[in-house]
Amino acid sequence: MSIFAYLDAGSGSLLLQAILGGLAGIAVAFRAFKSRITGKKAVEDAVASADEPEQVTEGS
Amino acid sequence: MVRPDPGSFRDPASRVVFRDGRVLRLLDQRGLEAWNAVASAEFFTRGIAAGRIIETEPTDDPTGTAAGALEHPRLPLITYPYEWTFGMLKDAALLQLDLLDEALQEGFTLKDATPFNIQFRGGKPVFIDIGSFEPYRKGEPWLGYRQFTRQFLFPLLMHAWAGIPFQPWLRGDPEGPTAAHMRAIIRGRKRWNPATILHIRLQARMEDRMRGSAVRSELRSAGFNAEMIRANVGRLRKLVASLEPHPSRAGWAGYQECAHVGRDRDAKSKFLDDILGQGDIGTVLDLGANDGHFSHIAAGRGALAVAVDGDEPVLDRLHASLDGEPIATVLADLTNPSPSLGWRLTERPGLWERVDPDLVVAYGLIHHLIYTASVPPTSVLDWLREFECPIVVEFVSPEDEMVKVLTANKEEAELHPGRTEAEFRSLLDGRFTVKAEQALEGGTRILFHLLPA
Repeated sequence: MSIFAYLDAGSGSLLLQAILGGLAGIAVAFRAFKSRITGKKAVEDAVASADEPEQVTEGS
Repeated sequence: MVRPDPGSFRDPASRVVFRDGRVLRLLDQRGLEAWNAVASAEFFTRGIAAGRIIETEPTDDPTGTAAGALEHPRLPLITYPYEWTFGMLKDAALLQLDLLDEALQEGFTLKDATPFNIQFRGGKPVFIDIGSFEPYRKGEPWLGYRQFTRQFLFPLLMHAWAGIPFQPWLRGDPEGPTAAHMRAIIRGRKRWNPATILHIRLQARMEDRMRGSAVRSELRSAGFNAEMIRANVGRLRKLVASLEPHPSRAGWAGYQECAHVGRDRDAKSKFLDDILGQGDIGTVLDLGANDGHFSHIAAGRGALAVAVDGDEPVLDRLHASLDGEPIATVLADLTNPSPSLGWRLTERPGLWERVDPDLVVAYGLIHHLIYTASVPPTSVLDWLREFECPIVVEFVSPEDEMVKVLTANKEEAELHPGRTEAEFRSLLDGRFTVKAEQALEGGTRILFHLLPA
């Protein structure tokens, strides 16, 4: 949250406003969701690869 | 001496203090910048001129610590949303939305959306928190949206669609019901109303899924803008304007048809009017005000009438009929009035702490307290004495027809002593002196003008 906001506006309620903002808002919502999904996925991928144990060859 | 308003502490940019009966608002640097910007905005000056925004003038800072100070007129009575009727909360919601829409058109926004920022004057809502206005920053969503839904929209919806009064909820939790609460409350066909789907079900789901995510920068870079807030506000306005109280929320609506009401009304009006004519009376507290007939008499004599009643439909009609008359409608159950609430129990003082009457009118009231609510007559008189001012009270004897109805299923042993005229008079001793009295036509009721002993 910005230091300017003394009120907890709620993340879901903020993002919902794009959907409530008419046709143009829906496009914004789509772009924001897309960046969330791709951004989140990229982070998750990075975390998953970092956590992956080193491959051990069976029988070695 | 400067005394901070215990209800004004959440926003560091702007807080209210009292000094010698004056209402001052102290601003920090950011609050001062916001004020300098909004003071000349057209919507703001127009709002003040129309009485929709509280009058505000720059003044000297008595503390020497603030970046700036403003002064507002003192409102004679502060009421809270849990003391409002459906129509009052609806009027307040429409004002909130209209001001936001007008502000956005001129590059401003409101940083919050709570009914505690609105009061009533002559039956009309007035916005009192000047510190809420600030310049709109490009790409920002409406930070007050969730608060608006919880404190305005959802209370109205639970009342209109589910027949559940919002006042007990707001009194228990002034933050209001959450979207998840509303998802459980709204059943049947209304579940598929677009407003339910978007503002309740989708909001509940998104709030649940996205708790703690930083989304403001994402919205900004995705191209969010003020027009999108306006589109939402426009639809919310249409929705709120369409809401009506649930048909099941009816109460004392037939009061005026009771035989004794019409018969005694003229005598009671004259008795009260004579008292009002004897001196300068600032505030008249009309307990059990019903349709506001006696409040109108007080208002006609130039007093502020505080019309308190527990019957929402009747009080809502009184509110709707007001057109500037100095009458404040307060929804309250007299046997359980609003207590002190909030932070340190000083943020929202109890009802009787906010009312300072010069005259209390208790017409057609105390027999309901004694016979329906089972309050002992001694306690009723002690309570009236606590107002520390003259009282106009209607005594109703046990032989009265209405009392017979109220006690139809009660036995003598289940009733408190002190109900007869002789006992009532002896209970007055030490508490009040009788300045005037008048027996009413039916022979079972007496009007008393009492002065505190």
